[in-house]
Amino acid sequence: MEFRFSEDQLRLRDHVRDYLAKAHPPERLRALDAAGGRDNAIWSGLVELGLPGLLVPESNGGLGLTLLEATLIGVELGRANVSEPLADTAFVAAPWCVRKGEKSYLEGLASGDVTLALTHDINPWVADLDTAKGVIAHEEILLTRPAPKQLNSVDPLRRLFASGELDGGDDPILLDLAALTSAAQLVGAAERMLEMAADYAKTREQFGQPIGAFQAIKHHLANVALAIEFARPPLWRAAYTLDRGQGLAPLHVSVAKVAAGDAALLAAETAIQVHGAMGYTYEVDLHYWMKRAWALIGAWGDRTFHLKRVDDAVIGGTLPLGPDATFISEAPHA
Amino acid sequence: MHLAFTPEQQAFRTEVRAWMEAHAPKFRDLKTLECKEGFDAHVAWERELASGNWGMVTWPEEYGGRGLDLIRWLIFEEECYRAGAPLRANQNGIFLLGPTVMEYGTPEQRARFLTPMAKGEIMWCQAWSEPGAGSDMAAIRTKAIRDGDHYLITGQKTWSSRAAFADWCFGLFRTDPESKRHKGLSFILLPLNTPGVSVRPIRQLHGDTGFAEIFFDDVRVPVENRIAAEGEGWNVAMATAGFERGLMLRSPARFQAAAKRLVELYRANADRAAPGLRETVLKCWMDAEAYALNTYMVAASIQAGGKIGAEASLNKIFWSELDRSLHRAAMSLLGSHAELRPQTGANEWLDGYIFSLSGPIYAGSNEIQRNIVAERMLGLPR
Ligand SMILES: Cc1cc2nc3c(=O)[nH]c(=O)nc-3n(C[C@H](O)[C@H](O)[C@H](O)COP(=O)(O)OP(=O)(O)OC[C@H]3O[C@@H](n4cnc5c(N)ncnc54)[C@H](O)[C@@H]3O)c2cc1C
Repeated sequence: MEFRFSEDQLRLRDHVRDYLAKAHPPERLRALDAAGGRDNAIWSGLVELGLPGLLVPESNGGLGLTLLEATLIGVELGRANVSEPLADTAFVAAPWCVRKGEKSYLEGLASGDVTLALTHDINPWVADLDTAKGVIAHEEILLTRPAPKQLNSVDPLRRLFASGELDGGDDPILLDLAALTSAAQLVGAAERMLEMAADYAKTREQFGQPIGAFQAIKHHLANVALAIEFARPPLWRAAYTLDRGQGLAPLHVSVAKVAAGDAALLAAETAIQVHGAMGYTYEVDLHYWMKRAWALIGAWGDRTFHLKRVDDAVIGGTLPLGPDATFISEAPHA
Repeated sequence: MHLAFTPEQQAFRTEVRAWMEAHAPKFRDLKTLECKEGFDAHVAWERELASGNWGMVTWPEEYGGRGLDLIRWLIFEEECYRAGAPLRANQNGIFLLGPTVMEYGTPEQRARFLTPMAKGEIMWCQAWSEPGAGSDMAAIRTKAIRDGDHYLITGQKTWSSRAAFADWCFGLFRTDPESKRHKGLSFILLPLNTPGVSVRPIRQLHGDTGFAEIFFDDVRVPVENRIAAEGEGWNVAMATAGFERGLMLRSPARFQAAAKRLVELYRANADRAAPGLRETVLKCWMDAEAYALNTYMVAASIQAGGKIGAEASLNKIFWSELDRSLHRAAMSLLGSHAELRPQTGANEWLDGYIFSLSGPIYAGSNEIQRNIVAERMLGLPR
């Protein structure tokens, strides 16, 4: 039992964080928003870091790492609000291909030349369908698809398309991988919104002092820190158990997604409150993170869906409960 | 990262479980720790634990421990709660003072204080708060004036848990009468039967005498009862508070056991549960899990040489508010039965709910903890 990341894992995380802080500042988001579409320069940078191949086996040109590293980096993608389809393609499509034995795409995925879009019955949309080489639909990869019809998301940086006659299916592996990645990004978005609000509270003055000296502001922000602190450990457990394909992984993913979504929603509502009217503008960067959070909270199983899965195990199911049950990997059958 | 117990850890669990199964049942349904009879029964449990060498498994063997790591300690706690074993009468000693003496005590002090603690021979209470120094602990006024190789203590402490039944107290006293605030305080231990000490029990919300005032009237205490240097008391006390909030005082097993009981209560009363309560029950279970997972992370980090900083404050807020939510949900499920006490035995949910209301107050109120989080973790101005 050792619930801790290795130094290497944390170094990788820091490396990606530093890179994104420099290469992917909020100005990038504003430029993307103004131009629409995607930015090849951002994608090339992510490719140079090797991120598209993070989960592709080394024999297929990837880094051969695990969902633990992917989840650590997923948090960083959320912090930086990366909008390129990296998470979908590298942290969902690639491990999905590995598990399904779809070897022919792995090299293209690892090199960043190929992206795959994801369809699933749980979502009424497909993200980044127009630029994808193929689309995972109902347990197979389709190379031809209907002409994409774009949908409007509240998040100006998401590119969503109608699923049309694509039959998504209900592949549980795809769902769990994507829900895990969404949870990671939600935690990252929550962290960043907390930082933005704390920074603002240190500089904005009213009544002759920084608003951060007011206790109401302190306590609001402490509540966000609390929600984030306790959303992280379930996220790591979900990544660990899903990576190993443990029987309880879907339950753990659901617990993680609920906690991450709750933390992100609280962070968003608190951050706008702390910013005052500034927070209600399009000019302050905060809105990009709020909107991403609203989108991801509903994506890949909304709160109701995931709570229901928890409910089926905890109240309705046979999950062992109590002090010695936290690290069991399989639930006994009814 | 490795999220499974090793065969050795599993074997340890089996060993604890077998011992608990053989010894804990005799100690079920004790009266509460907050009355003399209940306290004595809990002290008997401390001695029973000591007889099996289970007093404090993480301490070195020379002090009555087993020299085990924090993961073993968590397993031990899990098995205690799983077996329905009593709470620890000496919790202020073993969980707060113990680690403090280990870190700041001299070798003589360690041998003198830790071993009897692990053996359940001396029960400890904490004497920090005063009528004028609650949240603002730096306002402490009780004086300990140096007189040769003794201190003369005069003043008053209050809210000291189980002081009415305990043997010794560890307190924070002003050794420099000219000093202000955090300076000039010292951390001193003394027996409550020292001449000049009087203890006046205070009835708590539930009616029992859970805590007490302690009056000091020219009480002579030898200088060797001081932990760390004179005037260093504040830093020592902050370390103790870190143990209290961070890892030791409320082990996750406590809330996981309660969450399990809550789910069972819900199942039995689902047909009459308020809409929305189902979600509350699930949230309590998820939070108890999150707290357990977080504790395993903290334990791993400490074992790798890390320290607990202001996160200890997040921890304290989390467990105390989880405890209140858990018991509030149970009270709601019990509905019109919630107020009733059975003729014999206890209404555990009612007593637990009442006690849960003190969690956000003791060990530093949650308002103070939120200030600490905002100022030390988020860097907001004081
Ligand atoms: C069950 C129980 C057991 C206890 N056991 C012990 C013990 O064994 N030993 C011991 O020494 N003490 C013990 N205490 C005392 C405990 O540590 C104090 O109650 C606590 O520190 C709060 O102090 P106070 O009660 O004086 O409240 P106050 O400090 O008067 O606070 C009252 C209210 O004001 C708020 N407040 C105060 N200052 C601020 C601020 N700066 N910002 C925002 N809000 C503020 C508090 O949060 C609280 O809500 C115990 C208390 C309880 C309830």
